[in-house]
Amino acid sequence: MAAAAEELTLLEKLLGLRRGNKYSAQGERQIPVLQTNNGPSLTGLATIAAHLVKQANKEHLLGSTAEEKAVVQQWLEYRVTRIDGHSNKDEIRNMLKDLNSYLEDKVYLTGNNFTLADILLYYGLHRFIVDLTFQEKEKYLNVSRWFSHIQHYPGIRQHLSSVVFIKNRLYTNTH
Amino acid sequence: MGFGDLKTPAGLQHLNDFLADKSYIEGYVPSQADIAVFEAVSGPPPADLYHALRWYNHIKSYEKQKASLPGVKKALGKYGPAELEDNTGSGGATDSKDDDDIDLFGSDEEEESEEAKRLREERLAQYESKKSKKPAIVAKSSLLLDVKPWDDETDMAKLEECVRSIQADGLVWGSSKLVPVGYGIKKLQIQCVVEDDKVGTDMLEEQITAFGDYVQSMDVAAFNKI
Repeated sequence: MAAAAEELTLLEKLLGLRRGNKYSAQGERQIPVLQTNNGPSLTGLATIAAHLVKQANKEHLLGSTAEEKAVVQQWLEYRVTRIDGHSNKDEIRNMLKDLNSYLEDKVYLTGNNFTLADILLYYGLHRFIVDLTFQEKEKYLNVSRWFSHIQHYPGIRQHLSSVVFIKNRLYTNTH
Repeated sequence: MGFGDLKTPAGLQHLNDFLADKSYIEGYVPSQADIAVFEAVSGPPPADLYHALRWYNHIKSYEKQKASLPGVKKALGKYGPAELEDNTGSGGATDSKDDDDIDLFGSDEEEESEEAKRLREERLAQYESKKSKKPAIVAKSSLLLDVKPWDDETDMAKLEECVRSIQADGLVWGSSKLVPVGYGIKKLQIQCVVEDDKVGTDMLEEQITAFGDYVQSMDVAAFNKI
């Protein structure tokens, strides 16, 4: 996916890094590779993203407490294994269902703080959320709430389309 | 606006429904709005109101930064869904009335992105100016009056003169003719255009029959809206 390189460029902009990193893609699944200036080449979306965050001196985006850091890592792993490469309708629906119940009691993926996990999940899920019908968006109410929240974060959306969420509940409460 | 009494289960239910698709009371960052509502809630909401509970725990984590959150604390009645009545008393009736009026054109939440608000105001202003430019359409009617004299010796010319002498704002006399009724008696058929708001037929009848010397009676033969 050249999309990975594109996403990393978006991330760079969000973090305020000057552009200049060159990305290439590896293998049939197009895993992004970053050639660092005087070090080894880095492979993998989560790895490169974390590296960029540290480059930008925004380490808090990786979590502050040990538990939070672990949760961030968990969601980065989730992003790469469960979301990328999976476009099967059923899989997406299951994923959204899990995410919906997870987000029931949290404002951000880690609970109370905005982290890289939210950023990468936002970019990863955008193409799925964009295609949801309003009824589905209402079904996954917590995901919609979280998504609507994240897309308003300054600097994150950039050129991606803004997904519309209706403010009034159209369909009767199922919960 | 307002959530009702937040110390009651009904109020908490409203808060819960409000927060189902929002992370914060107002906008997309924690603000004094959240603090205001947080302080009104006496404790963590019950677990079955999980949206309210989520919000409560989240705002609790900002306890130390309470004072530095953006925004201005407003009376509790100002937050929340617009269709709920503000029964905190301190909100001010005119304020919620204004919100109701504006809400007819837009969403019923207080939070709105600045751009959406500006666009809406712009469109409202355009609508108002267009409306004021349109000339006010006045309701008019065309009446045909039959004025009958006492007998065939009544001077019809004088009668007509009397009728035409009746002046009123919104009354314009039109053409007239004499129609024979029988036994040599002629009635005066006269047209007039009236503005419905200003002139009524009973007023006309009163004034015409006031000329008792000439006029025996008056009828409205035809009444057409223009």
